[in-house]
Amino acid sequence: MTGLAPNEKKPLLQVNNLKQHFPIKGGIFGRTVNHVKAVDDISFTIFEGETLSIVGESGCGKSTTGRAILRLDEPTSGSVLFEGKDLLAMSKSQMRDMRKDLQVIFQDPFASLNPRQSVSQILGEALAIQNVIPANKRRERIIELLSYVGLRPDQIDRFPHEFSGGQRQRIGIARALAMQPKLIICDEAVSALDVSIQAQVLNLLKSLQRQFKLTYLFISHDLGVVRHISDRVMVMYLGKVVEIADKKSLFDSPKHPYTQALLSAIPVPDVTKKQERIILRGDVPSPINPPTGCRFHTRCPYAVERCKTEVPGLTSLHSTHQVACHLVEQ
Amino acid sequence: MFVYMIRRLLQMIPVLLGVILVVFLIMQMVPGDPAVLLAGEGASAETIANIRTQLGLDQPVMVQYFHYVTDVFTGDLGTSLRSNLPVFDEIMARLPATIELAIASIFVTIVLGMIAGIISATKQYSAADITIMIVALLGVSLPSFWLGLSLIYYFSVKLHLLPVAGWGTWKHVILPAITLGAGGAAIVARMTRSSMLDVVRQDYIRTAKAKGLRETVIVYKHALKNALIPIITVVGLQFGYLLGGTVLVESVYAINGLGRLIVDAIRMRDLPVVQGGVLIASIIFVFVNLLVDVLYRYFNKRIDLN
Amino acid sequence: MPGQQEKILDVRNLQTHFFTDDGVSKAVDGVDFSLNKGETLGLVGESGCGKSITSLSILRLIASPPGKIVGGEILFKGQDLLKRSEPEMRAIRGNEISMIFQEPMTSLNPVYTVGEQIAEVLRLHQNMGRKEAWDKAVEMLGLVGIPSPEKRATQEPHELSGGMRQRVMIAMALACRPEILIADEPTTALDVTIQAQILELMKKLQVELGMSIIMITHDLGVVAETCDRVAVMYAGKVVEYTTAKNLFENPRHPYTIGLMNSLPRLDEDVEELQAIKGNVPSPFNMPVGCRFAPRCPHATPLCETRLPELLEQADGSQVRCWMYTPEWDGQTKMATETGV
Repeated sequence: MTGLAPNEKKPLLQVNNLKQHFPIKGGIFGRTVNHVKAVDDISFTIFEGETLSIVGESGCGKSTTGRAILRLDEPTSGSVLFEGKDLLAMSKSQMRDMRKDLQVIFQDPFASLNPRQSVSQILGEALAIQNVIPANKRRERIIELLSYVGLRPDQIDRFPHEFSGGQRQRIGIARALAMQPKLIICDEAVSALDVSIQAQVLNLLKSLQRQFKLTYLFISHDLGVVRHISDRVMVMYLGKVVEIADKKSLFDSPKHPYTQALLSAIPVPDVTKKQERIILRGDVPSPINPPTGCRFHTRCPYAVERCKTEVPGLTSLHSTHQVACHLVEQ
Repeated sequence: MFVYMIRRLLQMIPVLLGVILVVFLIMQMVPGDPAVLLAGEGASAETIANIRTQLGLDQPVMVQYFHYVTDVFTGDLGTSLRSNLPVFDEIMARLPATIELAIASIFVTIVLGMIAGIISATKQYSAADITIMIVALLGVSLPSFWLGLSLIYYFSVKLHLLPVAGWGTWKHVILPAITLGAGGAAIVARMTRSSMLDVVRQDYIRTAKAKGLRETVIVYKHALKNALIPIITVVGLQFGYLLGGTVLVESVYAINGLGRLIVDAIRMRDLPVVQGGVLIASIIFVFVNLLVDVLYRYFNKRIDLN
Repeated sequence: MPGQQEKILDVRNLQTHFFTDDGVSKAVDGVDFSLNKGETLGLVGESGCGKSITSLSILRLIASPPGKIVGGEILFKGQDLLKRSEPEMRAIRGNEISMIFQEPMTSLNPVYTVGEQIAEVLRLHQNMGRKEAWDKAVEMLGLVGIPSPEKRATQEPHELSGGMRQRVMIAMALACRPEILIADEPTTALDVTIQAQILELMKKLQVELGMSIIMITHDLGVVAETCDRVAVMYAGKVVEYTTAKNLFENPRHPYTIGLMNSLPRLDEDVEELQAIKGNVPSPFNMPVGCRFAPRCPHATPLCETRLPELLEQADGSQVRCWMYTPEWDGQTKMATETGV
């Protein structure tokens, strides 16, 4: 944390009323009969130099949000302002130029690296796209990039299959860094790694952030990891933001009943701390026909009549903590 | 599932119209004037013109097509130039033999192919597996007329076990069905093997083992039903080749089926019969495809989800 | 070890190797542990440590070739499972020892209803008729907390959520009231709120049915939550074997300590995680000495040349590390002298 109050920080990315509805075809004539409302009208801001995490369980829309920002899927509506320019209004070629500034690291490092390319080819390709460094200097730059992510210069001509999972993720990070991006979206970037390796990669991400003044949008289901890496945390449930707060207030005093249940559900590796557990009943409802009113009301232990009919909006508890719950408002 | 069937049946209407159009256009493109052919050599221009009016050949192509479609839907496929009998009746007289042959062959394809494939998959890399795969490779490569003649030579001429040619009793069916089904059986065997090998690696097979089930129950109950999906697709495709193959096999074994009818009609330039025969064969193929899709859907219910 | 209880399973020096074109992979290389009646034993470690292979070896479900149990004993109620015939093993699987797996999405057969799949195991082991087995299957679905079990029994797996499918797996595994349930990462593929439901259910059923559980997991949180005793595995060997209480209060093996320090915690903030350096060794080419030595912050020449034994400590814990042996004193000196 920089010590600046959030309103003094400069916004890097502003997401406004983003919706991502995927059509479902059906019936005799294959018409669109319904939509999967994967992301349903969400707004948030990422400030320069911070790490904002999106957490939530499968189907909450956290990965869809990341993909929509990068326009890997075209969003249904809304705007995504990156340094004030709307990414969603850009042409394909303008967007291609913007991609330098917005890089992504995926969960499965093996699937996102071309198995037939060596490390120097993978990183060289990224440098060629960016085309700032002359071709004869690129090998030096690749070695420099490898040193940033803790790989040795002699590994430059190896292929992805010769690396372990953690090392492959380091290559993915080096590829993202090659573009000298402003924002890196980490989509479950450490979820596939064993804890001992995960810790190495998390430490690396943190030190690179300091070194290169990076901004991260960190998408994860693992609240321990999120607590470690984030400045602010956004909790999603069934396509909606239910709570967004700075790390300390979210983990110390979660306000939304879903956030509370989520935090209490995680087993703590400590036999002396047996915490009170809130066990939610049932499964997450389908995003095709989400519950009316507050989407969480079907599983919420405190739900009242109003929750079934009225959608709660995000209200500010204080400058850095917003929550979408009728009961907190009162 | 019901909605899906209705949708597929509706989708068949344009497909059938397309089939009729293609058959119609082929006949338009065949060199020679049917009226001249019908009238015979040395006929007067007046006779030819008369015939042309009778057959409606003097009308625009679009009108002819419209008439042809309405005729087809009322079961009128024209009259054979050779026998003067309605083409529809000629075809119906020949169709049963061909359908019998096709069903027997597809039976050979499925049963022989799947049994060989399952043995191969469950005993991977064993001598049985290697033998089956070599035979299957030969089965794919051998031309059916060669296989047909060889079978006749050994089983009929040398061993006197089965009739040389003709149609009528179950004994007549065996050799043609094997000849026609062998190629498909080889392909099905290879597909069954690879599909089974894929399925036995799945997590639910491990679950079945952990339940304490015997190997045979695991293979035939838990694995086979899941392995069927790609096999059905291959069998469906084989049916197309099989219809084409009947032409050859019916000739080799002198069976009076649809295939031979068409071949003879081509030789005699009996165009209405060729047209009708091709049309009926195409319609059968379209319906078999539909059946395959429905079966595919039935065995792969997970598709319904999306 | 608190050994007064009745031992139901005793695994001694288990060795499961894989013979591949690339060489012999010693995935499980001399593993010892025992399971007491009614308790939950955790097998903990990261991917490739051999914990899943160990559990599959107990039921002899290792695909052979390339896998083979090359040595050891697995004593179930005093009798060695490795000496049983295949039909005898089949009578034990799913009946006396059951297993559930990590992937509930793929562990159920997609083409049969869940009711049929549960009834199948009852008809096989309990000689039940079609009707009786079906009714019992529905009863089991109710027992694992599936609402409207009569209806659910007629559904196929794709109609159920991940959490529901894992409940079905549990119903199937427990249908014959086994004495041991082996749970291989049963909640890893599930969301945390669903994980909490499943762990709660397993604890409840363990008490009701009086069974013993082997819980295979990489998640130390799950261990703290569910296990009485724990065996920590690394590179095919048990490195620490103790009670859950001892493990968390007084972890001894440098690998165990490293694991705990690598874990980002929900209940405390640290600026930097203390990661374990390096990677796990290749199972084709294990270090000659202690297998953790190449990554260990305390490693000495002794560690690199000789494999330590799993030795009992004063409080009953067992640790495989030279640091807890008399040989260590001389070593540290030598290490400093040689500048390691």
